[in-house]
Amino acid sequence: MGSKGYFVGRLIQIILTLWVILTLLFFFFRLGLPDPTVALVSEGLSPEDRQIIIQRFGLDRPLYAQYFIYLRNVIVGEFGTSFYYKAPISGLIGEKLLNTLVLMLPAVLLAYVIGPLLGVLLTWKRGTRLELGGITLGLFFRSAPMFWTGMLFVMFFGINLGWFPTSGMRTLPYEASNFLQKILTVDFLWHLSMPLMVIFLYYTGLPMLIMRNTMLEVMGEDFIEFSRARGIPIRKVMYRHAARNALLPVVTQAAITAGLAVGGQVVVEVVFSWPGLGMEMLQAVRTSDYPLAQATFLLLAAMVLAMNFVADIVYSKLDPRVAYKRNV
Amino acid sequence: MRRPKSLKTLMLLLLVMVISTVMMSSKLVPEIEIITTTEAYDPIRYEAAFIIAEGWRSLGFQVNVRPMEFSTILSKFYDQQDFDATILGWSGRVERLDPQHFLGTLHGEQTDLGANNPGGYVDPEYDALFEKQSREFDVFARREVILKMQEIAARDIPVNVLFYRDEVNAYNNERFSNYVVMAGEALYNEWTPLRVEPLTDKRVLTIGTPQEPDNINPLSSTSVWGWKFMRMVYDKLVRLSPDVEPIPWAAEEIIPIDDLTVDIILRSGMKFHDGMPVTVEDVKFTFDYYIEKDFAYFRPFYRVIDRTDIIGENRVRFTLKDPYAPFITVTLAQIPILPKHIWEKIENPADLSPANTPTVGSGPFMFDRYDRGEYKRIVTFKDHFAAGDIKIDAVEYIIYADAEGVFTGLLTKRIDMTAWRLEPGQIPLAERESFITVVSVPDFGYYHLTMNLRREPFDNLVVRRALSHAIDKNTIISVLLQGRGEPGTSVIAPINAFWHNPEVVKYEYNLAGARQLLQSAGFTWDAQGRIVYPE
Repeated sequence: MGSKGYFVGRLIQIILTLWVILTLLFFFFRLGLPDPTVALVSEGLSPEDRQIIIQRFGLDRPLYAQYFIYLRNVIVGEFGTSFYYKAPISGLIGEKLLNTLVLMLPAVLLAYVIGPLLGVLLTWKRGTRLELGGITLGLFFRSAPMFWTGMLFVMFFGINLGWFPTSGMRTLPYEASNFLQKILTVDFLWHLSMPLMVIFLYYTGLPMLIMRNTMLEVMGEDFIEFSRARGIPIRKVMYRHAARNALLPVVTQAAITAGLAVGGQVVVEVVFSWPGLGMEMLQAVRTSDYPLAQATFLLLAAMVLAMNFVADIVYSKLDPRVAYKRNV
Repeated sequence: MRRPKSLKTLMLLLLVMVISTVMMSSKLVPEIEIITTTEAYDPIRYEAAFIIAEGWRSLGFQVNVRPMEFSTILSKFYDQQDFDATILGWSGRVERLDPQHFLGTLHGEQTDLGANNPGGYVDPEYDALFEKQSREFDVFARREVILKMQEIAARDIPVNVLFYRDEVNAYNNERFSNYVVMAGEALYNEWTPLRVEPLTDKRVLTIGTPQEPDNINPLSSTSVWGWKFMRMVYDKLVRLSPDVEPIPWAAEEIIPIDDLTVDIILRSGMKFHDGMPVTVEDVKFTFDYYIEKDFAYFRPFYRVIDRTDIIGENRVRFTLKDPYAPFITVTLAQIPILPKHIWEKIENPADLSPANTPTVGSGPFMFDRYDRGEYKRIVTFKDHFAAGDIKIDAVEYIIYADAEGVFTGLLTKRIDMTAWRLEPGQIPLAERESFITVVSVPDFGYYHLTMNLRREPFDNLVVRRALSHAIDKNTIISVLLQGRGEPGTSVIAPINAFWHNPEVVKYEYNLAGARQLLQSAGFTWDAQGRIVYPE
């Protein structure tokens, strides 16, 4: 019962957070602009079109009324019309969102699967050169900004060695009637490899190092010694008993990283000309396309929250105490 | 469009008022705020503002540089006219080679909010000459008027033209030859696809671009990226030659009848990409349609047209409301011919979704595909009258996130040419590669520092002149542009040689001279070295 209550409680929290973000975005975009109509009505529109949009978004009404109309529009997925493309935004960003997810999810997932395993390995090989090298590399990629690593990869593997394509999701032009057809190809994986590697390297260092640190702590505890005394092989003790207990801080970090990854994505997308939400956001800001920028910000925020939510659920599964404690 | 004055401004105003009442005895020249772009948006304009501020400070002016987001600058500068001095630029688009547009930025009738003369310069003589040149069909007579106008503008210096930046592009010289380089547009002009010759089996010209068209709807696109693409798909009555001379294109002949009447003879045998013939009906329909739908982006082009009539099997007559010299070089060279049988059924063309937007033109290339954010392609239209000279099968465009991506595309031989200027840091890298050729052409657009003549101290001519002498343009060019540019003198750039006036007064960088100028006009300096108005 407790875990279900926890689930519901978190969901309500997420919805409240999203509402706060929506509200902030609404007021920021209106404060930052000379006139609210400018945010949604562009100059090139004909007077009739202007009127239609003004009415649809209630721009002729008082601010609080506009705010409720805005909330309603967002809930039904109506983000307005892009200034630049002069087309409905919901139709513009759907595929971009998928493009972003298909790069980011595997990268972060890989980082948080391989990272902790490497952390266990480092603990195991404590005091060896492997540990030293692992820590150094982990810290190095963790500290180097992703766009910089990305540019080095482009220069080295893309230009000098010519092993990997430097831009895009597929060799252009390509035929694909749906999204799955687009990504279920070797060509896509080939294009994915470099940006994926860059994101992976950046994010893998942290879980690895956290894992190593907590493992070292856990290894000193009585139950580990007891397990060893029971004759359980070291490998099993490491991965079954110690690692599971050391995993909690890693999952906490995963929840935070999920959020950061969404933001960091923008930079990687630009370096590799990956046609995702980040590139769209850059384009929107560059062309002063406020409605589109607002929508991309909102989607990114929603993604951060969704990832955090997933991390929370995983967390409660790993350690049931988390769920029970808060709901007693 | 008015924003309530921010609290900060109010408080500042109050402070200034208090201070000025306290020291009423002598009137300090008010502090100047220079608005410029953020460093991230354009490091050149950002740094230039500081160089200018330094020069002005050494004359005793109190100067404050304020970087802002680009869209905020545009809104403050054009829509609110709330600025002291602003650094901005005009891009050199082909239709701006006709002096009309740039001269208009100093026209007294364009000083209202949102118009092109935010500095508020008004000079009756200049305005009279502006009207005169606009009515003068004789280019040599018109040129005399335009030279005189540039003289007046330089004398009164309401806008300081800082520099003309070179447009630097590059191409892969192993794949194609015979690229065309045009003033202001460099490689990405409408002649390159018509002229390039393949050196290998690759008969598709690949262009790398850092930005995307807004859309490819000829009744909706308002971006250079949309139009530079569409002008290959649609024909125009006139095209501007690589030397920027108007040459008849879809029109076989252009016959000016009098100041208010121009006839065109339509070239015979032309076809649209769907096989339908191009007729005078289509020409008349196009102009009527643009006027009826009031497509704002083209308004400056068609505003002058009173009516369009078919007066023969292949002859169309344009009747103008007023004499308008750039009618042939601008209007006829910009408006694309649309197929009547497709567009006449469309009531609200601006609302067309990308999927429903017609792409049928009669131009030398046919639309093939457009994958937003990734790719575009046009293929050679074999039935076009110029097709015989086209030596390639198609042009493809790869869309990158930024100039860095385009440059990488060039280095990895993924693309054949760049559609946008190289960054200063990329130029030496490109020059090092033997398979890359770098081309550099001066721009006829310009970067300018515009002073708000409604405000002190810019209402004072002596101050404007002295401040102009304190702008170190050579440092800006040699350091910030790494020598890839020319110091500015006139709104009509030197590359636009026919219209440019090389004789206008130039304000050499000379701080002592500037100080002298202020001194002889009665300005003094207080104990802290701040400049004070004459008693």
